[in-house]
Amino acid sequence: MMPFWALIADSFREALDRKIFWVMLCISILVAAAMFCVSFEGTADGSIEELNVFFGAYRVRLSEAAPGTVIPRETIIGGVVYLVMDHVLGGIGILLALIATGSFFPSFLERGAIDLALSKSLSRPLLFLAKYLGSMAFVLVQATVFVGLTFLVVGFRWGMWMPGYLLVIPLMVLLFSYLYCVSAWVAVRTRSTLAAVLVSLGAWVVFVGLQGLGDVFELMPQWKENRTLYTVARVAGWVVPKTQDITYFAGRWSGAPAPADVMPKTRVPTPADRELIDKAGEVDRQRFEQRALPSIGSSLLFEAVVVAAAMWTFSRRDY
Amino acid sequence: MVAITEMTNWAVDLIDVRKTYDRKVQALRGVNIQVGRGEIFGLLGPNGAGKSTLVKIMMTVVRPDHAFGTILGRPLGNRRKLQRIGYLPEGHRFPGYLTGMQLLHYYGALVKVPRTRREANAESLLERVGMTRWADARIDKYSKGMLQRLGIAQALLNDPELVVLDEPTDGLDPLARRETRELLLELKHRGTTVFLNSHLLSELEMVCDRVAILIDGLVARQGTLSELTEHTVEYRIAFSGSVTALQAQLQALGVSIEGGHLSLPGGDMERVNRVIDLLRERGITIESVQPHRFSLEDVLVETLGAQGRAASPGP
Ligand SMILES: Nc1ncnc2c1ncn2[C@@H]1O[C@H](COP(=O)(O)OP(=O)(O)OP(=O)(O)O)[C@@H](O)[C@H]1O
Ligand SMILES: [Mg+2]
Repeated sequence: MMPFWALIADSFREALDRKIFWVMLCISILVAAAMFCVSFEGTADGSIEELNVFFGAYRVRLSEAAPGTVIPRETIIGGVVYLVMDHVLGGIGILLALIATGSFFPSFLERGAIDLALSKSLSRPLLFLAKYLGSMAFVLVQATVFVGLTFLVVGFRWGMWMPGYLLVIPLMVLLFSYLYCVSAWVAVRTRSTLAAVLVSLGAWVVFVGLQGLGDVFELMPQWKENRTLYTVARVAGWVVPKTQDITYFAGRWSGAPAPADVMPKTRVPTPADRELIDKAGEVDRQRFEQRALPSIGSSLLFEAVVVAAAMWTFSRRDY
Repeated sequence: MVAITEMTNWAVDLIDVRKTYDRKVQALRGVNIQVGRGEIFGLLGPNGAGKSTLVKIMMTVVRPDHAFGTILGRPLGNRRKLQRIGYLPEGHRFPGYLTGMQLLHYYGALVKVPRTRREANAESLLERVGMTRWADARIDKYSKGMLQRLGIAQALLNDPELVVLDEPTDGLDPLARRETRELLLELKHRGTTVFLNSHLLSELEMVCDRVAILIDGLVARQGTLSELTEHTVEYRIAFSGSVTALQAQLQALGVSIEGGHLSLPGGDMERVNRVIDLLRERGITIESVQPHRFSLEDVLVETLGAQGRAASPGP
C-alpha cells in the first residue's frame, strides 16, 4: 500500500504546484462570495418578498416586479443552487478540471521521468490506477471546496440547510471520471497533453449529443420509421456515459427542485395543492431513483472498458 | 541442479536478450552478460549500441522480445527483487515541484523503504553526495550536476544489493567524478554489485572489475580488464640514430617504425630482445624500452575496427 499512497500524495503535490488549481479555488471563493452578497427577505409564510443585493445597495421587490406572484422560499433558493451546480460546477468546473488534469499523465510518462516509477515495486496496472485515482483527488478537493462553501452560504445566509447537497461532491467526481478515462487513455497512447485535453472535451460533446439523439428521434416520428438508424441511436445513447444525468441526479438528491418547478405561482398553495405537488414530486423521485442505477452502472461500465484499454496499452508499451 | 547453483552465483545473468523497437530498429540481437556478485561491471559501447536498452530491460522499463536470465537469483522482471535494486536512468527528469528531500522520500516509498530508514538514509546520502545544503530547495532550481548527484543518492536509498547506473558521471565536474568513483569502490567494499554504463572509458578502467563491449546490439568482448587489455600489449623502443638500413629486417619481425621509436605489437619478450640485439649490432643507442598497455579505448577502437565499422554513432 505504501507505494500506492506515495503516488497519490505525489499527484496531490503536483496539483498544488499548478496555477490552474489555485485559479479554480479562487473561482469557487468568488462564486460563494457572490452568493453571500445576495439575501432574500420574506414573509412569515415562507414566500420571498424582496431580493437584497450587496447588503442593501440594491433591493428588488418581487411583488412589484411581478405583481400577484408568490415564490416559495425553497423554490427560489433551490433554483439558484441548481443553476450554480449545473452550470458553474458541472459545466465550467468540469471543463477546467479536464484542462488541469490533462497534463498529469503526459508529464508522468515523459521520457526520463517514467523510468524510475516503472522500475519500482508497483506493477504497471497498479501504477496506472494510482495515478488515475491521484488525478481524481484533484477534482475531489475542488468539488469539496466549492460545494462546501456554497453549502455554508446557503445554510447560514439563506437559512436553508440541504444535507443532500453534499452528495454533489461524489457525483461531480463521478462525472469527471466519465470524461477523464478518455483523457488518460489518449495520454497513454500519445503522451500529449493537447491531444488528451482536446479528445476528452470532444468526447464530452459527442456523449451529450448521443444522449440527446434518442430524444430527437422520439420527437420526429417520421425518423423513427428507419428502424436501424433508430436502434443505432438508442444503443449509442445507452453505451456512452450519461453525463447529462449527473446534474439531474445531483439536483434531485440534493433536494433542490428542477428548473421547471422554479416557475412562479400565482397564488399561495393551499393544503390540497401541497398534497398534489408532494405526490407529483414523489412519483418524480421514484422515476429518477429507478433510472439512477442503470444510468450510473452503464456509464461506469464504459469507464471500466476505457480504463482497461488504457491499462493494457500502458502495460505493453516501452518507455 | 548445477545450473541453478551457478545461476544464483551471478548477480546478473542475462541470456539471449533481444529487442527490436517498432519492428525496425534492432537494438539488441542476443546479448549474454554475466555479472558476479560484489563486482563493478562496466558496459561500454558506441552511441546507439543498445546499452541503455539493456539496462531498461533489466529494470522492466522496456519489454524484451526475448530474454532469459536472472537478476539477484530471481527471474528477470521480478517485482520483489526490484526493491533490492537501485537505478539511475539516463537523462532522468525529476518532478520540479519536489525538494531533494521530498524526492528521496517519494522514491523510497515506491520501493517500500520504511519512513524511519528513509529519513536516516536520505540524510546520510545527501551528505555523501554533497547536497545537504540543497536538501530543501526545489528541484527545478538545481543545476545539471546537482540533479545527477541527487539521482545517485536516490539510487542508493534502499540499501540496494545491486545498483544499476546509466551514465552516472554525466554532467558531473571532475571533482564530483572522482567522488563518484570513490563512492562506487565504497559500495563494492560493502558487497554491493554495481552495473555501470559509461562513455568515459578511462573512468571505467579505474573502477571496473569486468567490462563488456557492446556493439550493434551484440557483446563483442567480455572479460576482466586485464583479460581484455593483456593480449594487446605492445612494446615501444625509443632510439637515436638511423635504422633505414635495418628496415627490411625489422619489418620481417613485424616491427613498425614511427618517427623516433619502433613499436612491436604483442607481448613477446623474445622478439623484443632480438630487435634490441639488431639495433645494438649497428651501434644504435636505445633510449628506452616501454611496455605499452592498451587502454580500454584502444580495445574499443580495435574491436570496432575488427567489426569493419568506424567508431561513429549508430543509425
Ligand atoms: N523508445 C525507443 N523507441 C525506438 N527506438 C529506440 C528507443 N530507445 C532506443 N531506441 C533505439 O535503439 C538503439 C539503441 O539505443 P540505446 O539508447 O539503447 O543506445 P545506447 O547504447 O544507450 O546509446 P547512448 O550511448 O547514446 O546512450 C538506438 O538505435 C535507438 O535509436
Ligand atoms: Mg544510453
